[in-house]
Amino acid sequence: MPIDNQKLTRRDALAWMARAGTGAAVAALAVKATRQAEAGRTTWQIDPRKCIQCGRCETECVLQPSAVKCVHGYAMCGYCKLCFGYFKPDAARLDEAAENQLCPTGAIRRKFIEDPYFEYSIDERLCTACGLCVKGCTNFGNGSLYLQVRHDLCVNCNTCRIAENCPAQAFVRVPAASPYLLKEQL
Amino acid sequence: MNAMHTLLSSLCAFSRRALILSTFFVLPFSPLFASRFPQPQFDSVHQVPQAVHPPFAEKVPAWADVLILAAALAFTVWLVRKKRSRPLILSFSLLCLAWFGFARHGCICPVGSVQNVAVSVCHGGGLPWHVAAIFALPLLTALFFGRLFCGTVCPLGALQELFIIRPLRVPKGVDAVLRILPLAVLAFGVVYAVNGAGYLICRTDPFVGIFRRSAPLPLLLTGMAVLLLGMVVARPYCRYFCPYGVLLELCARIAWKPVAITDAECVNCRLCVGTCPVDAINVPRPPLNDSSRVRQFKRFIALLIAAPFIAIAFAVTGWLSGSTIAKAHPAVRLAEMMQLTEDADADDVPPEIEAFKRDGADPQLAQERSALILRSFRVGSAWAGFFTGIVLALRLLSMTRLPRNNLHETDRMLCIACGRCFPACPKNHQLQNTIKV
Repeated sequence: MPIDNQKLTRRDALAWMARAGTGAAVAALAVKATRQAEAGRTTWQIDPRKCIQCGRCETECVLQPSAVKCVHGYAMCGYCKLCFGYFKPDAARLDEAAENQLCPTGAIRRKFIEDPYFEYSIDERLCTACGLCVKGCTNFGNGSLYLQVRHDLCVNCNTCRIAENCPAQAFVRVPAASPYLLKEQL
Repeated sequence: MNAMHTLLSSLCAFSRRALILSTFFVLPFSPLFASRFPQPQFDSVHQVPQAVHPPFAEKVPAWADVLILAAALAFTVWLVRKKRSRPLILSFSLLCLAWFGFARHGCICPVGSVQNVAVSVCHGGGLPWHVAAIFALPLLTALFFGRLFCGTVCPLGALQELFIIRPLRVPKGVDAVLRILPLAVLAFGVVYAVNGAGYLICRTDPFVGIFRRSAPLPLLLTGMAVLLLGMVVARPYCRYFCPYGVLLELCARIAWKPVAITDAECVNCRLCVGTCPVDAINVPRPPLNDSSRVRQFKRFIALLIAAPFIAIAFAVTGWLSGSTIAKAHPAVRLAEMMQLTEDADADDVPPEIEAFKRDGADPQLAQERSALILRSFRVGSAWAGFFTGIVLALRLLSMTRLPRNNLHETDRMLCIACGRCFPACPKNHQLQNTIKV
């Protein structure tokens, strides 16, 4: 049946044209998207200049506990005896007793250096990124405590759940080669 | 300097009032990063330590991600076309679930990459090439062989596949209505992403918490609920939510060699009909008599006339819902909050306002910006509604077509190549010599 055959071929040709068109469209989209020189791989980071310590880093991350941790820029620290990041505002005494500490998990370690200086360091395994210490240190101290996304934990989601809920738009994409925004170096 | 430091420290220690005072006196006069307490010169030999920051470790290089996806797709083609073995397809999908889901944490996946591509196309390039490749590969595969990505490679699908226990047949009408949702998710997902309101499609991914084995509770519960629903309605996410499925469907519509139940000629034994969990086997219908043919034709004409109205109705709905949808954008949310809190007490300001005030930006400017974004959301969601309406109308039109198949064949747009019908078909056994006829 030549007519049937002919019909089939025409149908086939049309199908191939449609296929080629769709394929070209997909390829064109992909190429157009990549057209400009790309900056290479990027990853999420908090700009500490924008952070207002709202506490959402602790609760919004897809990881529990959060991939955000408090870090200490030692170069900015005043080594205060009364650290506003370490002690509760109504601390009865300035010692390491849990009831005097601001950190709910006791993640800040306090080490005596020489009178009257103390060194503070963060135990990241305990830190939940609630930002209480950061708030205290930023408001009343030097602001040497700040929050950063830790890249040994962060899974680099396509869209960061904290970023979408950050009230200060403090989450930015940074090059993966230099993935930190260290406050002491900004 | 040390003495002053001590004095200040001890002063504060004794009185809470000092702390409050310092808020008033120190804060206003100090720049943002003031060194209120300069670093001491230590008498002892104390080294100021250096904080250690773990580098970004690329677990798998980008090219390997693309290569693995391509290899998985190619292997699936071979499994579905040549081996035709349900156990092998299932085992391979488990492997893909383990790798793309649990090892790679499901990011970045082709489903979410739609938004990255849309954003990059609209705002001018800059997308890493591997994301574009991950977006394009499954679509190109669908163009040739149908939706093989869905059935085997996609970790979201593979996870739901494990929960298919007693799939119910979703009534045709309900199915048609529910299948509007993926269209809307795709269209509005793109509108959200392009307008800078975040990635809707990623945010509504119910399984990402399960892949990471760690998530906020609501996310985890949603994922569980979808999986449980999947016990009776096979693959609910794939069929009634997945936006990438819409694109795959469009590509699969013109597939070169779509999934076939058997390579041999179908004998209409009907053994395959009950096996399909997603209702993707087209059963031959008896030829229509003249009166029903006329009725069908009338329905087709009516739908053809209705099609533009459907599209316009959806576009208008989109336009009207634009202002609600725009609330996902942080700038719009901020402007709204500012209006709400204008006359409220200043004690309990939301953090958004706090951040805004600290930046010292102009409230008037923020309102103007919000109005601008609102307008572009209106236009965007009108287009999204139009797209949804048009595709819906086309689907309705194609539902009234005359039955053309007189054999059992897969519905190339719905079939996700899970392979359940392969062992049910006696012709397959005959071809593979597992039974003698």
